[in-house]
Amino acid sequence: MLLLLPLLALPLAVLSASSPLQQLINLAAEGNGVVKLDAKTYDLVTTPKRNWSLAVQLTAKDPRRRCIPCKEFDPAWEAVAAAWATVPKEHRDNHFFATLDFDDGYTVFQKLGLASAPVVYVYPPTEGPRVSASGNTSPVKYDFSIGFDPGPLAEFVSKHTPIPVPYKEPIDWGRYITIATVALSLLLVLRHLSPLLQSRWTWAIGTILTSLVMTSGFMFTRIRNSPYTGGNGNWVAAGFQNQFGQEVHVVSFMYGLLAAAFLMLILVIPKQASPTRQRIQVYLWSAVIVIVYSILVSLFRVKNRGQ
Amino acid sequence: MSRAYPLPSNLSKETVTNTASLLRIIALALISGAAIASRLFAVINFESVIHEFDPWFNFRASKVLAAKGFYEFWNWFDPTAWYPLGRVVGGTVYPGLMATSGVIYNLLHALNLPVDVRNVCVLLAPGFSALTAWATYMFTKEMKDESAGLLAAAFIGIVPGYISRSVAGSYDNEAIAIFLLMFTFYCWIKALKQGSAMFGTVAAVFYFYMVAAWGGYVFITNMIPLHALVLMLMGRFSSRLYVAYSSWYAIGTLASMQVPFVGFQPVTTSEHMAALGVFGLLQIVAFSQLVRSHISSQQFKALLYFAVIGTGILGATAFIVLTYKGWIAPWTGRFYSLWDTGYAKKYIPIIASVSEHQPTAWPSFFMDLQFLVFVFPAGVALCFRQLRDEHLFVIIYAVMSSYFAGVMVRLMLTLTPVVCVASAVALSTLLDTYIDPREPEASNEKKSESETAPPSTNGTSTPEVAPAPVPTSTKKGKKATIAAAAQPEPTPASVIEEVAAAISPLPIAPKKSSSPQTKSRGIWGLDPRLTVIFNTLAMLSFFVFHCTWVTANAYSSPSIVLASANQDGSQHIIDDFREAYYWLRQNTPETSVIMSWWDYGYQIAGMADRPTLVDNNTWNNTHIATVGKAMASSEEAAYPILRKHDVDYVLVIFGGLIGYSGDDINKFLWMVRIAQGVWPEEIQEPNYFTQHGEYRVDAQASPAMKNSLMYKMSYYRYPELFGGDDGSDRVRQQKIPKGAVTLDILDEAFTSENWIVRIYEVRKEDNLGRDHKSANAFAQGKKRKRSKPQVRRRAIAVG
Repeated sequence: MLLLLPLLALPLAVLSASSPLQQLINLAAEGNGVVKLDAKTYDLVTTPKRNWSLAVQLTAKDPRRRCIPCKEFDPAWEAVAAAWATVPKEHRDNHFFATLDFDDGYTVFQKLGLASAPVVYVYPPTEGPRVSASGNTSPVKYDFSIGFDPGPLAEFVSKHTPIPVPYKEPIDWGRYITIATVALSLLLVLRHLSPLLQSRWTWAIGTILTSLVMTSGFMFTRIRNSPYTGGNGNWVAAGFQNQFGQEVHVVSFMYGLLAAAFLMLILVIPKQASPTRQRIQVYLWSAVIVIVYSILVSLFRVKNRGQ
Repeated sequence: MSRAYPLPSNLSKETVTNTASLLRIIALALISGAAIASRLFAVINFESVIHEFDPWFNFRASKVLAAKGFYEFWNWFDPTAWYPLGRVVGGTVYPGLMATSGVIYNLLHALNLPVDVRNVCVLLAPGFSALTAWATYMFTKEMKDESAGLLAAAFIGIVPGYISRSVAGSYDNEAIAIFLLMFTFYCWIKALKQGSAMFGTVAAVFYFYMVAAWGGYVFITNMIPLHALVLMLMGRFSSRLYVAYSSWYAIGTLASMQVPFVGFQPVTTSEHMAALGVFGLLQIVAFSQLVRSHISSQQFKALLYFAVIGTGILGATAFIVLTYKGWIAPWTGRFYSLWDTGYAKKYIPIIASVSEHQPTAWPSFFMDLQFLVFVFPAGVALCFRQLRDEHLFVIIYAVMSSYFAGVMVRLMLTLTPVVCVASAVALSTLLDTYIDPREPEASNEKKSESETAPPSTNGTSTPEVAPAPVPTSTKKGKKATIAAAAQPEPTPASVIEEVAAAISPLPIAPKKSSSPQTKSRGIWGLDPRLTVIFNTLAMLSFFVFHCTWVTANAYSSPSIVLASANQDGSQHIIDDFREAYYWLRQNTPETSVIMSWWDYGYQIAGMADRPTLVDNNTWNNTHIATVGKAMASSEEAAYPILRKHDVDYVLVIFGGLIGYSGDDINKFLWMVRIAQGVWPEEIQEPNYFTQHGEYRVDAQASPAMKNSLMYKMSYYRYPELFGGDDGSDRVRQQKIPKGAVTLDILDEAFTSENWIVRIYEVRKEDNLGRDHKSANAFAQGKKRKRSKPQVRRRAIAVG
């Protein structure tokens, strides 16, 4: 530590000599577009007199902090910052991306009253031509409810940069190749598949599975990103307007079983040649209907506890 | 031939037929009665009032229509809505509902029955539900037979999924739209089966009525073309399809363009392009058939090939070019968000904010459909067994609407009819199979059970009837044979097969009604029959109990009047909304402008008769965002907005005292989000959460939250109720610190009995030119100066 200290102090001493803007430019160049901050430089870059704008990520990447979202978000941040590093210099030097790790500046976290990470602030400029029309100079917080994707982040930061961040989603070659391969192989086996495709029962199964899955709240879990289970073996979400992913499976299976029981009674059992076997089957499937239906109703009671 | 149970054999055929049709009529009448009666819970438990939000506008418009006539209504400009913009009501409304009740009202008055227009409006939905039951009966009859039709009518009459939007007083477009939907579909099926231009025209007329009545007409606009397209792809093109579709499309589209709100949309927007495209494709296919009959086959093949490919490419390019040029509008947001489910939340929060646009969890499905939800897949599977043209319609309808209902709670309404139809088909087939007294050994007398089985409702059929079925089913049987005969017709099918040989030419012949294996089918003995029938009846009666319970408890609340239970179990009515709206009506000048969140705009206009800034017709997002901004900003920032919009009173809904969870504080985040969409620099959602990301209203609430106008209006003087303690909010279960909320720019004008509605008057500019804060501090400081000088100093310092 003692040895390292002077080494650390040296660049700082050099930097403090030049103007804060120049320091930022240098630091950004060093970190591949991302300025790595600590408690001291944080105050420097967010000085109340600044003609640059700054997007800063407050995070805790050290494994000891066990901040999983921080790790998930970091690649998106790096990608957007790298995209910004490609813009022409006269624009690049007006906006910076910076990262402050908790272990480098917990005083900043204290000062900002932050108890969770990651947090992204965008500091608009306070001086110069780019001061916003509304005169707002206080930092703007990024809303993570949209998710950790780089696209929305770039869109958000672009509102405060001189020119939009030229971020483009990387082309997912793997996905395209997979789709192309699947399509090609389907075309190749089409001759063998066509009897299957022309069978009405293939379509019947597809139709029925679709309606079973849809009426079990599949779209709800997709749109709301419900977890598969609630943890601790709890798979029934509390509340009438809520459900977990596993409920889709259970409920659609029960619906499917009941529908199958009805189809057995209607289609298959009348074709039976032996009266005894027919009788057994009628009782069997009737019992299935009664039991599964009762389970379903009691599950519904669990969900609809209030009434 | 053996029978499971004896039947009277001395009945003549006529007797059986007549009794059956009499029983059908009686059953339909009873079903209509049940459908109407179960929707009257709302009137009996509460009173004959208009419910909820949108119905209040419809009611207000109907009053104008009844009082001033149709012409005035058509040209009605409402200056009190969307102050100061106003609203051209005639051109921005689906007039079908108001026109219907206007006609009924005038008819009753012409008969010298002086019925109040309100009662016409309240009882319109139950009345039309009886018609829906009848239309569903007709539709299902085309799918299977009369007995299935009666079951379907009974289901749709009482199923909660439909009742939820059609109880008495729920005077909304959906009230008549489901009847129109089912009847249009019925006419379409009829037109398709018979190749009848007349039924096609009737379908078009009812389609026009539907367009005039509900924005959901787009469902029909896309369902029918989809059905036609699938039929063509399966090689089932026929002149019947051509006649039915062309007559429906040509007349229906021209008619629908007469509705001012729709205008030229049928030829300029993407939602309607499918119908136009299928119409074009149909013409090409029909034309190629015509050409085929005139030239030799070799020339024809080349010609057809290039013509079809060329026209297809031409059409697609034209569509793309027109879309890029802006002649064809792309999908509207509301429609687009059905496919890209994340779209609305990101780009149009105003659509995502509406509770009926949320996705549906499975308990809602089960609550609304109960056991039908799992019988209906079985019914869809049975449709695949015969797979006639009309069965395909049910199949497509089932897939599409179950997806839509999963995405939006509101679209459960379009799923409900097909669920009723399909499960009626399944259950009636089940009952047919198990009530039929014939046992399998007797092979000679029997034809197919599914064709000739007697309707389950009459129960008096004799074996003698079976070989020569009742006239109705003979007619039907004849139709079926016509349909069957039409299928193998080589010309139409082969054309498409040539064109689309690679895709899926399905040479599907309908199942022959007298296939050899059906002879040995059937049930032996009495006890399996009794088991199944008893089981089914038990499920049906449980369904009835469930429906009644749900209707009475969940779907009959008018939502402008709330009910709670007293300690002795008796009902206690909470009538704060009407109390407050009538206060406004009686105590404020007629010109005073009321600002509230858009949910209450129609109610204020309807009950208080005062101008509002925004209402439930959410056509101007910026105006709504302005209100959101005013609610979400601090007093200083909000005051200029209020004054610039001439706001005299601000109305907020606050449920903290009695635990009414649908209040404005719970909706507040949407106001913030919508305002943020327009002013991202000034309003930011994260500022309204605490540092830990919680949504709090107590002492730890974020500064932006505590300073927002909405927070202050909700909790102003609230802790005073608790006698010097901190106030406690029963909705959010949090403590409101006492003395924290001050209001400078508003005066409390009215607070209703249970504090649900709070109305504030906006102060005019101070006469001495001071800002309100210092004027207030001065006024208060003077009072306090004598007793507690320190407090005054702190008050100023804090401010």
